[in-house]
Amino acid sequence: MTAEQILAEIREANLSYLMLAQSLIRTDMEQALYRLGVSEDNAALIGALTPAQMMKIANSNTLLCRFRMDDDVVWNLLASHGRGAANDGMSRLHAAILLAGRHAEAA
Amino acid sequence: MARNKSILIEARQIERAVTLIHLGARLQVLESETDLSYERLLRLYKEVAGKSPSKGQLPFSTDWFMTWQPNIHASLFLNIHEYLNKVTALDEIDAVIKAYQLYLEQIGTQGLEPLLSVTRAWRLVKFVDNGMLTMTECSKCGGHYVTHPHEIARHFVCGLCNPPARAGKGRLAGSLQFGPALAALPVPQPVPLPIPLPMHAAH
Repeated sequence: MTAEQILAEIREANLSYLMLAQSLIRTDMEQALYRLGVSEDNAALIGALTPAQMMKIANSNTLLCRFRMDDDVVWNLLASHGRGAANDGMSRLHAAILLAGRHAEAA
Repeated sequence: MARNKSILIEARQIERAVTLIHLGARLQVLESETDLSYERLLRLYKEVAGKSPSKGQLPFSTDWFMTWQPNIHASLFLNIHEYLNKVTALDEIDAVIKAYQLYLEQIGTQGLEPLLSVTRAWRLVKFVDNGMLTMTECSKCGGHYVTHPHEIARHFVCGLCNPPARAGKGRLAGSLQFGPALAALPVPQPVPLPIPLPMHAAH
């Protein structure tokens, strides 16, 4: 990928993220907070963005959304590194419980 | 409680009741969470669900939440519920409704059957409010799970870190299994092998 391509891809990803986030927030604010893992203040900001503002914010060389699985336990469960793919369903449920328990980052 | 005379509040309550009926709630939940009269709720129930509500007592025991698979489902729901409660200021019943919808989605994406009914989810929240059940942190994975109160946190290991011997052996459709969940996995398409020509055809 050339530098230009990278920038274009990041802009695309940012823009789709913002659009999705905004429609989630406008559909159901509370559920959107859970889905997005952002604070209420940030959600209010995203919800109020105009299309022009979105374009401006999306045009950047960094991504706007961040990885949520920032520890080994959840990551290994999701990637099924632990005990193989045999208990895939259980691992994913386990990961979902652990992720749902992390409200500190959003609050 | 004095009946609400505000039509707006009543409309809000009917909307809530309809959502709950769609989710499969029992009539007792509606009675407890709205100010609508029993007769109106009954009529609403028949109109929305197209049948009479099931009769009989609500499940009242906390034991159900302690068995392996229900505990996992209940813990998932309660974690979502706690999340919503921490980040937003929702009315209690709205938090239950929204958390239950998110729980259904999560279970649905994994091709599992929702073991936890909305009535049970509602009971669970009440049990936790009353201190009859609580959440304890697993000493291994750090997740929070539904337990009886006064569980010794230092030694508590959740049902997912340490499944019981018979766990996942059931072959009930939509239940958690140790083997690959057949319904959830994409069926691997056999790669078409080049069919070797029969020997005599080569001549």
